[in-house]
Amino acid sequence: MRRLGQELSVLFILFIALIVVLFPYFWTLLASFKTEAAINRPLDWNFDPTFANWERVLRSDIPMQVRNSILVGLLTVAISLVVGAPAAYAFSRFRAGGDAIRFIILAAQMLPPAVLIVPLFLIMYKLRLLDTIWAVTISHLTFILPLITWFLIGFFEDVPRELEEQAMVDGCTQWQAFCRIVLPVIRPGLGAAALFGFVLSWNDLFYALLLTGKHSRTLPVGIAGFWTFRGIEMGQMSAAIILTIIPVVIASFFVQKYLVRGLGGGAIKG
Amino acid sequence: MIRKLFHLKYRMLFPIVLVLVLIMGYPLVFSFWVSLHDYRLTAIENVQWIGLKQYAMLFKNASYWTAMRNTIVFVVMAVTLELILGFGLAVLLHRPTTLFRHFFRAILLTPMFITPIAVGLMFRYMLNSQLGIIPNLLRLIGIQIDWFGPQLALFSLALIDVWQWTPFMMLLLLAGLEALPSEPFEAARVDGASSWRIIWHITLPMMRPIIIASVIIRMLDAFRVYEYVYAITRGGPGESTETIQYHIYRVGFLYFRMGEASAMAYTLIVVILFLVVLLFYSLRWEREK
Repeated sequence: MRRLGQELSVLFILFIALIVVLFPYFWTLLASFKTEAAINRPLDWNFDPTFANWERVLRSDIPMQVRNSILVGLLTVAISLVVGAPAAYAFSRFRAGGDAIRFIILAAQMLPPAVLIVPLFLIMYKLRLLDTIWAVTISHLTFILPLITWFLIGFFEDVPRELEEQAMVDGCTQWQAFCRIVLPVIRPGLGAAALFGFVLSWNDLFYALLLTGKHSRTLPVGIAGFWTFRGIEMGQMSAAIILTIIPVVIASFFVQKYLVRGLGGGAIKG
Repeated sequence: MIRKLFHLKYRMLFPIVLVLVLIMGYPLVFSFWVSLHDYRLTAIENVQWIGLKQYAMLFKNASYWTAMRNTIVFVVMAVTLELILGFGLAVLLHRPTTLFRHFFRAILLTPMFITPIAVGLMFRYMLNSQLGIIPNLLRLIGIQIDWFGPQLALFSLALIDVWQWTPFMMLLLLAGLEALPSEPFEAARVDGASSWRIIWHITLPMMRPIIIASVIIRMLDAFRVYEYVYAITRGGPGESTETIQYHIYRVGFLYFRMGEASAMAYTLIVVILFLVVLLFYSLRWEREK
């Protein structure tokens, strides 16, 4: 009897936590179907849903900003994987650079954006790259490349050495063994790292706000822009917020299983 | 020697070294150079060397210290709450008897994936004193709270951080719990110890290194708080929610005083580096055990 009481109180606490987490999504989703008048009566549950907010959002600049965000995310992740995966392998297999280099990678990832934004802005200004997706992509590389590298170290550590040794006995060079044997083995890790990197790029406001302009604005800058000029367009802003949330929440279900191992970055296990 | 330089190890590392030097090394050096000059975007033709004067001036700059203090208060409030709630939830979700625990885990983790600006705007809407559902519900039971007034604004921002990042703390601690050996727990249960005693005398001491690492990781992240301030208060009322990251943004990009902003950024590096070194040693210590 006591056990049952304990289990029920555990479920009760978790249920409360669930409501705390889900309510903001629910309330924002609701607002996206409300008229401005209905939004002004928060306690009134009787309202006629309208699709006007969604229609207006889909006809605004938002779809273009979604495209920019996707483009920047894909570019950042692609470059990070191509540059980061061999490096992570070298750190894990050859103990390249020892602990010092792992420390530098970790420190690079932790660097606050405020430190890099001034020089990056001035450099992009001089190179005439402001308001292009390259400026944002390069700035996103500063935190996503170290993260993806750090993330992959942990996955490479888990690959048994015998696998490559076997391949090399069969006549592969070590590079070939890396490409043909090791990379396919850690495919789930590569996928999780890519998805996580993409989410971080998708979420960034700070760099994007300062390095983009009319043509290259990303989605977070777009939704941040809803309340500055014409007053707050609550309904439309809610629709845009829901639009940014949905893809990452879906992505999160695929990533969470691998997240812990990756964040350990070979530090906890290695 | 030459052959050694062409070792696969170095060929594999060359791209990352090149990219990091270009996108981080060079900007860091450049930024230090800027911090030693009176570098204003409004007077870019007339950049003058002033040495360490900007750093010296920071000591007398009240806004800078307010921003630093606000940031530290914010970080301490947010991370403390996140640790308590995150640890509690992690323990509950770790219990093998808890029903639906994978379902709860998946849903409870979602806030950490959402862009912070969206989180800021959602809460700005929900806590707004006219439109917001929360103040309206509280009013029904006779409580009037101005969430973004001068006394509470910084605390409200910390609560928003708690909503978004407790899941991350929970995730790290769950990973830690899963890595613990099971023998001490079984022994304690056989001896008839209560759940509370097990948590207090066995779980907490064994988790200490992981807790320390998780707290430092969250602190490092919380130091960058910017989006909630930008979305909700823009540093106000007064300077009560001006955080260091937001302050640097304002000085550099609204007042165009890039030199001063760079100097502030460099003082921030010192704080961050201190935390990173702590984190590094705590991770290494754990590994060597």
